[in-house]
Amino acid sequence: MELTLKKRKRNTIIPGFSLTLGYTMLYLSVIVLLPLSMVFFNTLSLSWSELWETIAHPRAVASYKLSFGTALAAGLINVVFGTIIAWVLVRYQFPGKRIVDGLVDLPFALPTAVAGIALATLYSPNGWIGQFFDFKIAFTPIGIVIALIFIGLPFVVRTVQPVLQNLSREIEEASASLGATRLQTFTKVIFPELLPAIITGFSLAFARSLGEYGSVVFIAGNMPMKTEITPLIIMTKLEQYDYVGATAIATVMLVTSFALLLLINIIQWYTNRKFNVQ
Amino acid sequence: MSIHIQNVSKAFGSFQALEDISIDIESGELIALLGPSGSGKTTLLRILAGLEGLDEGAILFDGQNITNVSPKEREVGFVFQHYALFRHMTVFDNVAYGLKVRPRKTRPSKEEIKKKVTELLALVKLDNFADRYPSQLSGGQRQRVALARALAVEPKVLLLDEPFGALDAKVRKELRRWLRKLHNEFHVTSIFVTHDQEEALDVANRIIVMNNGKIEQVGTPEEVYEHPNSPFVYDFLGNVNLFRGRLHKGKLTQGEFEIDVPTYLDSHDDAVGYVRPHDIQIEKEQLNNESVAAKIVHIHMVGPIVQIELKREDVDEYLEAEIPKEHYKQLHIKNGDTVYIRPKQLRVFIPEDYSI
Amino acid sequence: MTKPLEVKQESSISIRSGATKSYALQESAFVKWSLITISLVFLSLFLILPLVSIFVTALEKGWATYVASITNPDALAAIKLTLTVVLIVVPLNAIFGIVAAWAITKFSFKGKNVLITLIDLPFAVSPVIAGLVFILLFGAQGVFGDWLFQNDIKIVFALPGIVIATMFVTFPFVARELIPLMQMQGITEEEASISLGASGWKTFFLVTLPNIKWGLLYGLILCNARTIGEFGAVSVVSGHIRGMTNTMPLHIEILYNEYQFTSAFAVASLMSILAIITIIIKNIIEWKVKDV
Repeated sequence: MELTLKKRKRNTIIPGFSLTLGYTMLYLSVIVLLPLSMVFFNTLSLSWSELWETIAHPRAVASYKLSFGTALAAGLINVVFGTIIAWVLVRYQFPGKRIVDGLVDLPFALPTAVAGIALATLYSPNGWIGQFFDFKIAFTPIGIVIALIFIGLPFVVRTVQPVLQNLSREIEEASASLGATRLQTFTKVIFPELLPAIITGFSLAFARSLGEYGSVVFIAGNMPMKTEITPLIIMTKLEQYDYVGATAIATVMLVTSFALLLLINIIQWYTNRKFNVQ
Repeated sequence: MSIHIQNVSKAFGSFQALEDISIDIESGELIALLGPSGSGKTTLLRILAGLEGLDEGAILFDGQNITNVSPKEREVGFVFQHYALFRHMTVFDNVAYGLKVRPRKTRPSKEEIKKKVTELLALVKLDNFADRYPSQLSGGQRQRVALARALAVEPKVLLLDEPFGALDAKVRKELRRWLRKLHNEFHVTSIFVTHDQEEALDVANRIIVMNNGKIEQVGTPEEVYEHPNSPFVYDFLGNVNLFRGRLHKGKLTQGEFEIDVPTYLDSHDDAVGYVRPHDIQIEKEQLNNESVAAKIVHIHMVGPIVQIELKREDVDEYLEAEIPKEHYKQLHIKNGDTVYIRPKQLRVFIPEDYSI
Repeated sequence: MTKPLEVKQESSISIRSGATKSYALQESAFVKWSLITISLVFLSLFLILPLVSIFVTALEKGWATYVASITNPDALAAIKLTLTVVLIVVPLNAIFGIVAAWAITKFSFKGKNVLITLIDLPFAVSPVIAGLVFILLFGAQGVFGDWLFQNDIKIVFALPGIVIATMFVTFPFVARELIPLMQMQGITEEEASISLGASGWKTFFLVTLPNIKWGLLYGLILCNARTIGEFGAVSVVSGHIRGMTNTMPLHIEILYNEYQFTSAFAVASLMSILAIITIIIKNIIEWKVKDV
């Protein structure tokens, strides 16, 4: 630090380097890094067998499968419909488009608990939508998927939309004048351009879904082994003052999330390097 | 393939991009569409490719009306100003694209595609770049890939939209020469859009000068340069000196200057005489009142032509003259000298129907 | 204010509608309207109907019940607590965001990208874990548990716990809006200001702040929305003490679990109105920025 600081002083006349960087590091450490590191320190206090017993407990494993599976399903559904919505919002004109465009941000702005009770009521067996289905939606994994679709949708739409907007019209024209049909132009030219954004949007939605709590607990039913998501297991363990168990499960989740974060960064770095003009 | 453009008009909202354009283009011509930005030249090119619709008129390819034929069926090769290469495909895949998207019945086999693409890459001297991505190429190389890609589908017409606009001067010159060579080999009817008069004069067999959605003049480079038929063309192609004066009994007068213009015997109007810098004669003595005194302000002496900036002594106006270096040496003139200038060739336009 | 945008859209329509009817450049009307319909149905099922149902359910039993639900002492206490949290968390995170963005965008130093990633970290952490970490720090069995108990300081199950957990969750919002914006704007204006003799503070207030005001506001309203609505993390650290440590979302949860649906949705409708206002402000900012 000392060294970089001295170097900077020679290069810039803008003041405040040590003050702002120092404050940033301090605040970051106190609010984020130190608290987060507690999870790993507490996990270290466990022996391997204890740790394994907690994280490989059938109920925990069932929750991983559920959380992973529902997040994956919701993510894939959002990829399809989110891309269609982004396409419609960028390429077409229709009445009420502005309002629809604004509404896409609703999941970012609406408290998760509010979304949770609204979806649970709507999709319950006698709810507005639930009554039209022969099978149960709320209180089953399908209900969890619905809550996660709600939470994840804007991630996909808002990452694909700007890319589509900035896509040069010329490559489509080039494709058409080379004899391609519209469908060929979409699959061979437009889709590959959108793919990195779609993958990024999916990963963001997926990562958020894995940890999502507020919107899911109301619609999930929370039956152990069946509709109990991983964050709920942590919650339950906390309520039973089983801090060690909660911490162990939290470690599994954190490691997964960080791996995902790393993956997203690698994808972005890779696509930037490969396709972008220097 | 011959092209007939018949009474084509096109408007974008209230902006009239093209107004009643008619041109006939012979098979195998190399045409430059020349004009300032907003003159409608790119719109016309895009209409030919089917990328833009037209409001009125018709386009005929070899006598066949293709006005409503979709771009994919027009057999037109289009080269975009910014290349429009598919950046997620290699150079090879870019060039092969037009062949790969054909319906199965007419699609060449893999080996045929490979052979064709390899040939084309050799033609554009990019044999060793087949596996590169567009982002790994220079601007000139990318434009050559774009050309190869357009040629791969064996188009009957090659349309190029400011093909060298985004390249630096040296590469541009090289590609120009190369485009002409390519055209000599293939004889495919080619039309390119440019706002660079030098490029148009250098490359094309015929130039179509456009302005404000209309055609100003059509002709060979020599015709449009030597005999511009409007003040616009005069001004747009090359430098020009203006003599703003009055017509009186077949003479254009301005200050002490007076010159015969027999074509305008009856006119008594304000008029402007147009003289190319190389049509200005510099003499050390006054011979008659067709010449006028001017002071040399600046002499620019690079290359075989000497450019001389002069300030007229009768009126407060500057002129530019160009004379060969040998002639300059014989004259023995220097900055500050007073000389007499005389237009060797002058064209007069009466300025009510235009403004500059 | 929105005019330029509309003009642009109109011209792009006219280009296409005037064009030859060619499906090589554009989808057929059938495909177009199918896609629009699919989008609208999807959005109705997952976004619009839930939003509408909140207001309908809230007003199901009439206006009087609605007003009673939101003027109930516990509800008012929850609203007050939530506002208190907002007033503490949002300014603190805003200051951090500005300071961090200044350090990151005005200077070059090693490890900058790592720092940016670390700032984004809370987005990758489940809110439940965000609550858990503060229990591990400040809870009775936590690292500082004994010390806090001896000095009679309450953090967990009290306002400080709620504040700090919310701060963790909303930590990156302002910073991540400002960093790309300030990176794009570069440092030339600040350098000019300082070379003309202005102090660092003057430069910030007269040059930098006007340049980033919309981005800052954008970050602020997103941070604000999340602060108001945070549920998981707060749920862990609050202790659910009615009228004391219940924020609005926690209050909704309790009402809902006690089958007081109308009251739950009444409070939920208040929060939905805030969400809609947030979206409107966000769009206004986006139009403003486009105009500039």
